[in-house]
Amino acid sequence: MRNAKLMVGAFYNPHLGRELAVATGIDHLAMADPPAASDAWWPAIGGRYTLLLHDYLGQLSEPLDERSIQRARALADLYRSPWVAEHFQCLHTEDGRYNLNYVFPPLYTEEFLDRFVRNACALKARLDQPLVMENIPGFFDVKASQMPEPLWLHRFFEATGAGFLLDLPHVWLQAHYHDMAAERWLAEFPLEHVVELHVAGVEDDHDLAGPWIAPAEPSDEMLAFAAHAVSRCPRARAITFDAFSPSLTAEVLFRSVERIRGAL
Amino acid sequence: MTRLSSDRAVQDDVIRALADAPYRASADWQRRGLADPGRVERYARFLARHFYYERIVHFFKYSRALARVTDRAPEAILKSPAFDALLPTLVLGSRETAGAVARLVTAHVAAGGAPVPYLADLLRYEEAMMVVEAGPRVWRDADGGGGGGSPKGVPAGPGERYRPETVEGTVLLELAFDLPAVLPKLLQPWTAVPQAPERPTSLLVARSPHGRVTVAKSDESVAAVIELADGKRTLEELAAGAGVQAAELRQTLQGLVDLGAVRFSTGS
Repeated sequence: MRNAKLMVGAFYNPHLGRELAVATGIDHLAMADPPAASDAWWPAIGGRYTLLLHDYLGQLSEPLDERSIQRARALADLYRSPWVAEHFQCLHTEDGRYNLNYVFPPLYTEEFLDRFVRNACALKARLDQPLVMENIPGFFDVKASQMPEPLWLHRFFEATGAGFLLDLPHVWLQAHYHDMAAERWLAEFPLEHVVELHVAGVEDDHDLAGPWIAPAEPSDEMLAFAAHAVSRCPRARAITFDAFSPSLTAEVLFRSVERIRGAL
Repeated sequence: MTRLSSDRAVQDDVIRALADAPYRASADWQRRGLADPGRVERYARFLARHFYYERIVHFFKYSRALARVTDRAPEAILKSPAFDALLPTLVLGSRETAGAVARLVTAHVAAGGAPVPYLADLLRYEEAMMVVEAGPRVWRDADGGGGGGSPKGVPAGPGERYRPETVEGTVLLELAFDLPAVLPKLLQPWTAVPQAPERPTSLLVARSPHGRVTVAKSDESVAAVIELADGKRTLEELAAGAGVQAAELRQTLQGLVDLGAVRFSTGS
């Protein structure tokens, strides 16, 4: 059953600040970057929206350092964010030499589970808001993984008490590239921990020779998938149109939020 | 499949394979048999285009603002055969790759022949920003917040033991136009192309260990310090070489350390 107080929102795209500052029908904005000093629309945005901290804080395969923790605390305070989001990602090497600059999942192993549980608990203890963690898709399987992603996530959330930020296109893509029905794959995930959901469009990518996340409107299929997912997430409080790109247009953003709201 | 010492080491190996095309093609990687090679290659190419899209949009934002007169969007090179030809050589985040990609952008934008007098200076500036940003970076401070082990400011007291060293990748630009005077105007709404005053301008571009790129106006004494600070000369030797008083040198060095252009090594 859908939570009647579910907020429907989008990401704050600074190039759309003028339109967002006067928009209606958007309950919240997720913040991927801190507001720029030159952003003339930020005061109006900050004054009228619930803001969700969704920045890059660090990868929890390693402990966050004090500077990163203080930055997370300062941003959560600035936004008055009801929760703080991070990703299940491990995108740069430990020595800092190689960096993918794009969310990339860890190996689903006991060692990485232990690392993420330990470092998420340490971060949670330093925040004044709940921590939520977002699932990340893999385009290929790494043979060193020891368990399926949903089982790894179940164990993480049980061990940490963190909330789940369920990214639905990520689930949909995983299912697509493993030739599974998205609803069947979704049922494996720990939906009882979901606090927020992400919905977005996917488009064919030339390099991948298949679909991937894009700053585009969600399809009717994705919206139906979102409605199905929301009905199985009893603790969900927000659903966010997950598009953050200089190429995103105001028309796509507003129509997507309206269609998400209509689909629920 | 070859075993590595820990799961974290395996993860690092996968990240390196995605970031480093020559390594991905090597027998070392391929014999590990960690993942489907076709899928890894496709995903690596996707990541490469994403990685440099983000950097081109950020560092060439002024050229993007001028695209309506140059008719040359900088990021268009990412879909060009020239970029595809670079793919087998790319190492994401390296200075060499940043330079190669930036040169594709500057050649593409310059070829438009737009009547913007300072366009050549602007493209050199943007290329320098992108290249300076590249290179390994510190992602997290050491426990206790000590950083990389070098003093963060100019050491007090006798300078014999401490030897300033220009950080690798720091760039001095000598420009014919005063770009800092026009850059903010390019990002505001305009109808006629904003013009830059034609006067010689020296800029220093440097990067902090955490990857923050900073630009500052330079002068002769700054240029001399950047040139002479080799990690071997003491503060006194550097002051003599740059032709400045020790007190003035300390002030200059403090500014350069803050920018990330100079660090101190201990001579002991």
